[in-house]
Amino acid sequence: MLTEILEELRFGTLSKLDVLGTEIEMFQAGEGDPLLFLHGTDGLEGSGAALEALAREFTVYAPSHPGFGGSGRPQRLNRVDDLGYFYLDLLDRLSLRSPVVVGTSFGAWVAAETLTKEPARASHLVMASPLGLPTADRREQHVADIFMLSRQELGRRMQVGDPLPGSDMATLAAMPEPQLRRLMRNDEAASLYGWTPYMSNPKLADRLHRIAVPSLVLWGADDAIVSQRYRDDWAKALPQATFETVADAGHRIHADQPQNLAARIAAFAAA
Amino acid sequence: MKIWQFTEQAYYPAFQVPGAMRVTLPQHHCEPEQAGRLLNRYLDEYMLADELGLNIMVNEHHAAATCMSTSCMTTLAILARQTSKARLLALGIPLANRSNPLRVAEEIAMVDCISGGRLEVGFVKGAAYELFMSNRQPTGFMDRFWEAHDLIIEALTNQGDNFTWEGEHFHYRTASMWPRPIQQPHPPLWMTASSASSARQYGRRGDVCATFLSGAVASSVFAGYREAYVEAHGHQPSQDKLAYLALVACADDRETAFKRAEAMKSYFTTAARLDPQFRNPLGFNPVEANIRMLQAGANAMRPRMRNGQPLPVDGSIEEYMDAGLFFVGTPDDVYEQLVRFHAETGGFGNLLMMAQAGELDHKDTVDNLTLVAREVAPRLAELPDMPLEVRYEAVG
Repeated sequence: MLTEILEELRFGTLSKLDVLGTEIEMFQAGEGDPLLFLHGTDGLEGSGAALEALAREFTVYAPSHPGFGGSGRPQRLNRVDDLGYFYLDLLDRLSLRSPVVVGTSFGAWVAAETLTKEPARASHLVMASPLGLPTADRREQHVADIFMLSRQELGRRMQVGDPLPGSDMATLAAMPEPQLRRLMRNDEAASLYGWTPYMSNPKLADRLHRIAVPSLVLWGADDAIVSQRYRDDWAKALPQATFETVADAGHRIHADQPQNLAARIAAFAAA
Repeated sequence: MKIWQFTEQAYYPAFQVPGAMRVTLPQHHCEPEQAGRLLNRYLDEYMLADELGLNIMVNEHHAAATCMSTSCMTTLAILARQTSKARLLALGIPLANRSNPLRVAEEIAMVDCISGGRLEVGFVKGAAYELFMSNRQPTGFMDRFWEAHDLIIEALTNQGDNFTWEGEHFHYRTASMWPRPIQQPHPPLWMTASSASSARQYGRRGDVCATFLSGAVASSVFAGYREAYVEAHGHQPSQDKLAYLALVACADDRETAFKRAEAMKSYFTTAARLDPQFRNPLGFNPVEANIRMLQAGANAMRPRMRNGQPLPVDGSIEEYMDAGLFFVGTPDDVYEQLVRFHAETGGFGNLLMMAQAGELDHKDTVDNLTLVAREVAPRLAELPDMPLEVRYEAVG
């Protein structure tokens, strides 16, 4: 069982899925309407509680993005724009017509890129702490630069609760090699897609009007990664969406408030 | 053995500022008139090296008080004009951080012409933290390095028509070198290695291979190079294909030499002053290399002393000498230490010598350079090209 290397996902199955020649790691759990969960820069790690809560209402599909975790990556797939096309192929491969699409942080950017290309490909879109819009205006930064923070500092700032174990260098160095390899691949992929322009596609804002499905954007009340100005930019760029704030949550809302997040997603999808 | 004078051209007044010396050190600590005086002073010392019959090496870094040379070729453009005999080595140009490799080729050709064909060129991976200033993509770093390398070599060696280049990373409608370099097919190429496996690829290619401040590891770097060179070329490389970089503090008496060494030691301690997240940007090293580094621990990459212990960053001069990073004493002492290290590493033909480092002042640097050039260099030039045991085997 592949879930042996990701203990927190033991309630479901982790298997390999061939998408047009690229082998993708796919986690699946639960029963109900289909839901595609797109993880953030830290991979599937730390998503277990939220996925388990979602799996009580939905059939959850949670892939590792190409290059992350245990997923392969076509050599020229190196922009989030490319990931948008990749996920349309993946939805075809799974015969999913219009699942609920949930993305967190970097994964919300991936969700937005996917649905700007085929706007009817979801029943509902939920973006938790989305990235993807320009993160700065010349000298004025609106999103913390994760590449300029130490591993420990970044680990602390990502949520209000405890940091992921890999945020501590000693714990990281002592990890079994398969887990360590996943984290190093997550780091590498975050850099591949997000180094420059930093965590954004300058063209995304001009395409967001195409998203026609009911959309919900959630911000953690205590998010220490994105500023109020950046949240305002998202509100302007996606006026058709509902914007809400989740109490007692940082950037990784799914880690700080997994039950509340899952309940809000289920209510939004049922409305 | 040939000797090359090298200094990082530090802005050492900033060493007193607490905290990091690279990337995050606020630029307001740089007083530009003082920077200008220091840069001119280091150029004067390079010109003295030329007069003394030594060769010259320059490097570059960015956003660092430890090194004000922000472009090898800018420094060498000055020295190409102001020196007359010295070979001029850029070691090196951080290729994968450059956005325009054709411009690199143009600068090489221009400096080679101005210097009358005295340029030697090193292409380096460069320090990881440079990525924060170049902002080039960390992933695919070495793919980009090698494409830039290939393009530059094509441009320098091209004796036919102008050409176009449509690569994975670089695209040019026309590559046309005005001027072309004097040295054909191209100026001598240098690479840097800190392990036998990286040295092997340079041995196969026949480039000059330098290793920096690696102490005992230099033996395995050179052995890897020789082995691959023999496989690819069918004969031993000459020693001028191998180079070692270290600090040298020489004086008429030991007491003065050790005082000079103490003034130079801040080179080592300031180099270590860098916040941890800048040492290894995400995506810079391959995943498997990152796994090995984490498992090996922080001390794995430190040079070792003769007792096998890692050399502490704030170690004594004697400990730095023991590890083979520092050669200190009278001309006789320095000569003997270098002969011993030369024999222990199997021989190398180039000493990349930091006769100025850290806070060593102009007067001491001039005396240091002069003593090495007059009293050590002539004897080192007589060192046999092959290590002794190899010569005896050949005779027997």
